[in-house]
Amino acid sequence: PEHTSVFLSNLYSFSFKKKKKQPTATLTVQLTLACVSAPQLFYSFFKSLVGKDVVVELKNDLSICGTLHSVDQYLNIKLTDISVTDPEKYPHMLSVKNCFIRGSVVRYVQLPADEVDTQLLQDAARKEAMQQKQ
Amino acid sequence: MVLLKNLHPPTEGVRHEQAETTAVLDGQRLGCGTLYVAETRLSWFDSSGLGFSLEYPSIGLHAISRDVSAYPQEHLYVMVNGKLNKENEAEMAEKAADDDDDGSSDGGDDDEDEGAITEIRFVPSDKAALESMFSAMCECQALHPDPEDDDSDNDFEGEEYDVEEAEAEHGHADIPTFYTCDEGLSALTQEGQATLERLEGMLAESVAQQYHMAGVRTEETKAEFEDGMEVDTAAMEAGQFEDADVEHW
Repeated sequence: PEHTSVFLSNLYSFSFKKKKKQPTATLTVQLTLACVSAPQLFYSFFKSLVGKDVVVELKNDLSICGTLHSVDQYLNIKLTDISVTDPEKYPHMLSVKNCFIRGSVVRYVQLPADEVDTQLLQDAARKEAMQQKQ
Repeated sequence: MVLLKNLHPPTEGVRHEQAETTAVLDGQRLGCGTLYVAETRLSWFDSSGLGFSLEYPSIGLHAISRDVSAYPQEHLYVMVNGKLNKENEAEMAEKAADDDDDGSSDGGDDDEDEGAITEIRFVPSDKAALESMFSAMCECQALHPDPEDDDSDNDFEGEEYDVEEAEAEHGHADIPTFYTCDEGLSALTQEGQATLERLEGMLAESVAQQYHMAGVRTEETKAEFEDGMEVDTAAMEAGQFEDADVEHW
């Protein structure tokens, strides 16, 4: 299925990567948010996705698929019913059902494309960035 | 640096203490001891004083493992960013008096490349305690958010925006750094919106003219002028206001 990746880096910047099954079409939009209110935006954003299936890719390349259980203001993520997308590399994770992921180690959060209004999020992010500049 | 040299278990802010807990570090069984989930750090010590501590920012992930077919006992799984210098860790814990840290810092700070991790398992004899251990760690993690760092803002790990790609996809260049008309409309303040409406109304009057507005009117929504001049929007006579004095508004 189509996925939209939301990339978090220290809560201040994110990029979208919308991948389609055919690798020809790729949309990458990169927004820089030099503001403190950006984490609030993503906190609200992720809260709205609780219960959805996501794939969290960590900065150490581990990818974890699971259901978003909860998220806090630091974008620490709790997932349930997890599965590891690369079990050969991380066999110890196979036996884990629920996990807590520290927000700072998250590189990407992949979301089902139909759950995300990318235009809306893009606009909201830019507004916050501009408001912060004033 | 992940490890602390503090050899004593934390006494304050201990959210959860679990005795009879075996620690397994990267597959190596360290023995049986006590796990301390304290607000300042996560520590484990055995009865001889051998142990280690972890800073919460270095813990990327923790979880409860219940599938005994994957690992024979239920345990708390902890993934630490970077490699713990486990060869010297035992020495560090035992040599209490020594402040000598040559050899212990060797490689400890270097192994910060993103792929390197350390996997630790805490296997309590009381499996029912796993939920409490997990929850306590969650709480303590929340106490240690990353400091706000402006320097890392511009550190993009993702791909750069590819204009050509976007054009191929959309047929037009929607370059994010430019403040486009569409964005501008949605970000206008009320004043700005009123100004825009006024300007648009004026442009409808006189196509050939360009006016530079100095003032902003918020109470008027239509293109009505204070000096009583009614504007007939139906009249599209070019040059009608050619000699108008726009400055005094």
